[in-house]
Amino acid sequence: MRDLVLLGFIGAILLMGLKRPFLWVLLYIYVDIVSPQLIGWGLIRSLHLSLVVFVAAFAGYVLLDSKEGSRFTLRQGLIVALLAWCGYTTLGAVFQEFAWQKWDWVWKGMFFAAFLPLTLRTRLRLEAAVLVFVLSIGANAINGGMKTVFGGGGYGSFTMLVDQDSGLYEGSIMSTAAIATIPLVLFLARRGTIFKPHWTVWIFSVALIFACLLIPIGANARTGLVCIAVLGVLMLRQVRHRFLFAGLAGIAMIASVPFLPSEYVERMQTITGFRTDESASTRIEVWKWTYNYALENPAGGGFDAYRGNSFTYDLPAITGEGSNRQITYSEVTDEARAYHSSYFEVLGEQGWLGLFLWLALQGLGLWQMERIRWREKAHRSDRDAFMHDLATALQHAQIIFLVGALFVGIAFQSFVFILIAMQCAVWSQWKLAREGSDPSPAATKIASIQQPAAT
Amino acid sequence: MARSSNCRTYPLIDYFSIVLTHGLIMVAVWRLLFRAELDDEKAVQAEPDRPWLKNRESGTGDA
Repeated sequence: MRDLVLLGFIGAILLMGLKRPFLWVLLYIYVDIVSPQLIGWGLIRSLHLSLVVFVAAFAGYVLLDSKEGSRFTLRQGLIVALLAWCGYTTLGAVFQEFAWQKWDWVWKGMFFAAFLPLTLRTRLRLEAAVLVFVLSIGANAINGGMKTVFGGGGYGSFTMLVDQDSGLYEGSIMSTAAIATIPLVLFLARRGTIFKPHWTVWIFSVALIFACLLIPIGANARTGLVCIAVLGVLMLRQVRHRFLFAGLAGIAMIASVPFLPSEYVERMQTITGFRTDESASTRIEVWKWTYNYALENPAGGGFDAYRGNSFTYDLPAITGEGSNRQITYSEVTDEARAYHSSYFEVLGEQGWLGLFLWLALQGLGLWQMERIRWREKAHRSDRDAFMHDLATALQHAQIIFLVGALFVGIAFQSFVFILIAMQCAVWSQWKLAREGSDPSPAATKIASIQQPAAT
Repeated sequence: MARSSNCRTYPLIDYFSIVLTHGLIMVAVWRLLFRAELDDEKAVQAEPDRPWLKNRESGTGDA
């Protein structure tokens, strides 16, 4: 039954794409995020869905679509450079087998991210991409949120649409992705034209946001709680009545505590007691190891280089209470511990150059979105409110990701690269609308140098 | 809130979340099929979504 629904859905969009090939690009965004081949049971599992839809999306753009308004931006160049560098480090990776396994999904996400902005050449396409992105994450978020309400959560045992512990079906990763999606949900509810602002749209949006907020609770993910806090701070930039919002958010938080599962509250309390927590202690040791490893191997060790780590450290444990409180240290040895941080993941795997490219890609995005926000801010008479709100939503989503990424190794997840690709498209469209298709300053300068020489 | 490790499969929730989100994506894609601005920024919609509400919609301004 599931297979029929999913295959019917995919088949219908493939057919509709014959009239509008861009729909195949939207279909790939959906396939990339939801992985319907993992949700189904039978036939759908044996199909190379991702490959088929990608070929359709790519060929549809190259052969059938207009290229008017398509621009290749600096950040797309950075994605290509990072992809090439990742390919180079994979060739010399320490753990060849694991490195090629990771390369297999990383290159697809990055290649698609470099390609996607070329296709997002109209506003409606941008909105459509954001909408499909949100609804695709929403499929998992609604599922996980409802299961949390019905008691299906728990650290390491939280299952969403697919019983799998990787990608967007892993609790901590999904927690970060779900919270990062909330600004985009709000953008669509306010500025959507496919589903125009309406009370039904708002009800769905609020319910979806609630489901997203429940994911960190269901997954018992501490990272998710940090992301929620960041979201709260970012919202203060947007809302009109800041004190009222801060007060209501505080009341909502206090009021929600009695409804939270005790297991969750206990785990969240360990955020402040990180010294006695093995998970947190391990992270700090892994980060130290990665830094030293990068000093010795400036080009990184290729994907999954963490498998070579091993370290022994003293884990403090507190026993007794009050004046009988004692701290005892026990020796713990860890091997092949994952990075638990995207920044160290990139550093350990791709070295300093890879980290520079990755940070440049992220930093440039933050700056570009801020530039649009500044130009289109509220008091300007010729402001473009759509671009302002979209740039704000994408920037906030990225900031939430960057904070969540401090504690989870999600540097190469494709949902992040889709966010980056949407930012590239927003920047490109905004530049084109504001500055027209005039030659770049560099081209003008070259022309002015050549002109006197010619005369 | 009761929690137990054995109640981890919720087929109804799975179906609900799949049908709801996939249904919405399908409606969105269907609507996009008839929007000329999808492929051309300058294209004006040939027909308003609800012609009988045309006058009322033009008077409401930005939501």
